Amino acid sequence: MVELKVDQDKCLGCGNCVVACPVNGSISPETAGGHGPKTEDVIMMVENGVIKLFNEDKCTRCGTCPLFCPTDAIFLE
Amino acid sequence: MVTNTKEVKGKDICVQRISPEEKRELAYKDDVCIGCGICAKICPTEAIELGEIGAIERTGVDESKISIDEAKCVLCGMCSSACPVDALDLKLDEKSIKDMAEYPQLIKSAEISDDLCIYCKACETACPRDAITIARILPERSKLVTGEIEIDKDTCISCGICEEMCPADAIEMEHHEPTSSDPTVSSDITVNKDKCVYCLICRKSCPVDAIKAVCRSCSYGDYDLNPEDSETTGSSFIDEEACVNCGWCQEICPVDAATVEKAFEGELTIDQDTCEACGACVEICPCNVLSFPEAEFGEQSDKVQADETYCIYCGACENVCPVEAIDVKRTAVKHTPTKSKSWEKQLSELKT
Repeated sequence: MVELKVDQDKCLGCGNCVVACPVNGSISPETAGGHGPKTEDVIMMVENGVIKLFNEDKCTRCGTCPLFCPTDAIFLE
Repeated sequence: MVTNTKEVKGKDICVQRISPEEKRELAYKDDVCIGCGICAKICPTEAIELGEIGAIERTGVDESKISIDEAKCVLCGMCSSACPVDALDLKLDEKSIKDMAEYPQLIKSAEISDDLCIYCKACETACPRDAITIARILPERSKLVTGEIEIDKDTCISCGICEEMCPADAIEMEHHEPTSSDPTVSSDITVNKDKCVYCLICRKSCPVDAIKAVCRSCSYGDYDLNPEDSETTGSSFIDEEACVNCGWCQEICPVDAATVEKAFEGELTIDQDTCEACGACVEICPCNVLSFPEAEFGEQSDKVQADETYCIYCGACENVCPVEAIDVKRTAVKHTPTKSKSWEKQLSELKT
């Protein structure tokens, strides 16, 4: 079973994954434009400088976020 | 009681049932699989499950694209008949059901006619699965040009200008350091007439006019040439395992030498408003149907562009899309006839 996971120690808090995630974009369109989400309904968000999963159950394991993470802090395993 | 056994070799799967009467074996090849999930759809016992194709194809998750539950599998072979790329194969006593007329087969093919092919390699370049190899034998260059060339060695000062200028590498000098016994800088100069194209650059650049050369191709040379000498010959090869019958070869071929028949007909729709341009579909499509359009500066283009000409309506893009922006409709499933009502029904249920 493939799951979405994060390694907060590796995370730089850049938010690339938050912006790249297509599901985030459909839930909170401003993320697709590069802004922070306006709702905690999204899959992941940067909180206190690190990435945090809020709704990993919404993840379809499409593989987009790992492609944009510069430090492999978000991954599918 | 006879039970199924499963063997997993790397990412390939083999489910077997050996009874005194018969040996049934379902073999799955992961490198052939395109992750479309048609096997999972047609399986009457829900024994096949499609994996996390996006994660597998894009992030290197080390898993098979499908899983088979050997406890549920009845080794009926429907998945083998319906797989559009033959990644699954059911064998009865070592004989594939793809070679048995009793079992329905998807009607699909790709062929390149060697009679028509001019070996331009466009199909080889365009094939998204690298399934095509064109082996070609080019004509001999020396037979396509005619002329004369001669170097007057007494006049030649061995400066090497012609050797450096020659675009065909046809002039060769034997350079050496002068000695008291041979006070020259080159002992010989030769023209390789198989390489020379009579372009006359050597003659024009020679500072001492030591080269006499004439080209006959430019004026009346065509009459001297044997048309057969200018023909490129060769052969074409399609790797059937890699081929997905997408039709790129057929569309790109300038002489209509490639013919492709597709098993499914359908319609591909992308909802541009829903699409988040994540690129999962672009990467998963085995047929290079999908791409990101290049927008003019300041213009907003579609997020993802599709050319259905190459679509095989496998549905892999629809499965992988995380925001349900893609709809793949299958309106026809072409297969050889079967007497079995249930097989007929299952195959026609692939229509959506």
